[in-house]
Amino acid sequence: MSAADLAPSPAAPAAPPGAPAFRQFPVAWRFALRNQARNRLAWLLLIAFVPVWYELMAGIAGHTPLTFKLYATGRVLSVDGGHLTLITAGLNAVTMIVGFAVFAAIRRTLAFDKRLVFAGYRQATLITAKTLAIAVIAAAVAAYTSLVLLAFWRPGPAGWAAIAAAFAVIALAYGALGLLLGVLVRNDLEGFFLIIMGSLMDTFLQNPLGNPLANKPVLEWFPSFGPTQFAVAGSLGHTALWDHLALGLAWPAAFATAGLLIFRARTRTRTHHDRRAADSRPARGML
Amino acid sequence: MTQAVLEARDISKAYRRHQVLRGVDLTVWPGQLVAVVGENGSGKSTLLKILAGTLVADRGQVRMCGTLGYCPQDPVLNDSLTVGQHLRYFAAARRLRSLARAEELMNLLGYEQYRGQVAGELSGGTRQKLNLTLALLHDPDVLLLDEPYQGFDWETYLRFWDLAGDLRAGGTTIVIITHLVFEQDRFDLLADLADGQLTPREARSGKDDHVRR
Repeated sequence: MSAADLAPSPAAPAAPPGAPAFRQFPVAWRFALRNQARNRLAWLLLIAFVPVWYELMAGIAGHTPLTFKLYATGRVLSVDGGHLTLITAGLNAVTMIVGFAVFAAIRRTLAFDKRLVFAGYRQATLITAKTLAIAVIAAAVAAYTSLVLLAFWRPGPAGWAAIAAAFAVIALAYGALGLLLGVLVRNDLEGFFLIIMGSLMDTFLQNPLGNPLANKPVLEWFPSFGPTQFAVAGSLGHTALWDHLALGLAWPAAFATAGLLIFRARTRTRTHHDRRAADSRPARGML
Repeated sequence: MTQAVLEARDISKAYRRHQVLRGVDLTVWPGQLVAVVGENGSGKSTLLKILAGTLVADRGQVRMCGTLGYCPQDPVLNDSLTVGQHLRYFAAARRLRSLARAEELMNLLGYEQYRGQVAGELSGGTRQKLNLTLALLHDPDVLLLDEPYQGFDWETYLRFWDLAGDLRAGGTTIVIITHLVFEQDRFDLLADLADGQLTPREARSGKDDHVRR
């Protein structure tokens, strides 16, 4: 016999007849959300770090006049460096908190998820529940960070909505990155390092405050490019760059697809069941 | 004619150059209680993972009849969920309509008072009880247990054997991996795993061809 006899089967072990499969989803969804929301350090970062970070970054930037290029129109805006830095600081805070929270939650439960799949949980159900939980967490963190921004700067309703939308998109991108790293890297330190360094490089390179790379085309290849363009155009240029917001959504789509494919592969179960004799078993007495 | 519920043929497994299993054969009949005994690092858990299907062998074939319950050596739990939430999660996985069996097992193993406690705060013994419960929730036909009474006190150890006895009476086939066997006569078959090969030690049931070299 060869190892091919033990090749993975395409599906998890068939569940015994009982409750319908769709009942798995509410349970998975509730626990996935709970799992994401139970990270106390992430809550502390969210509540304390966001206002402190805004205060610190606004203090460092002052009101230095800066130029910022809108790539969609080619227009170069003259903006208040303090306002631009607040947008960058918000994007940076959102990316770190969401990336960290999702990475920690996914990584912590990967073996448990594998056991659930082995026990008969449908992978698609777990994947959908996790994805939705990440989306909810990302939206909540983005909403909170956008609200705290109002204590430092009132950009007007349309401008604020553009910033909030940009925060939501970058939160989704880093939530999906946290998912990808959570199923990919071998230890916690690697994941935290990649999220923190990636977030700092990505968001601060978009800000021309003391950055020679700002306004250069290379920035288009970073996840926060689209959201930064959309937030700055909406709040400081009174323009809605929808295509750049959509570009920002391509990153979470790519990260999530890669992450979920790896999750699927890593939680896949193998069976070598022959159910022909199952019916011959004597009836069980009550314990 | 009775059919074996679990058959493993010529199972081999190596981790890089370290050959752990060298052509292991094992046949288990319905209702049998089998112990695979071996020292630490002898490959017992590797064999059980291959039988359960959580690890792929380099060579060989495994055939199993009926539903499977697998209890890994290290409790795979979610430290942020309570005992009750674990039971609901796995009941959903198994598509069970009620938690009656879970309640029964909790009472039988004597840890129902920890229902509302998160797994991360449980003692090693209670984590193992929960680990075992999760493998038994759906009343499997074949039960693979890796060091199942690890961390149990004497009373729980005896409760475990009461439970195992009830399961056998109901027709469940049980394979236990252990490095210590206190009471050999509890088992129908004991097999020693050494140097990557499984060797029968004693066969109470009289069938001595269950383990082949």
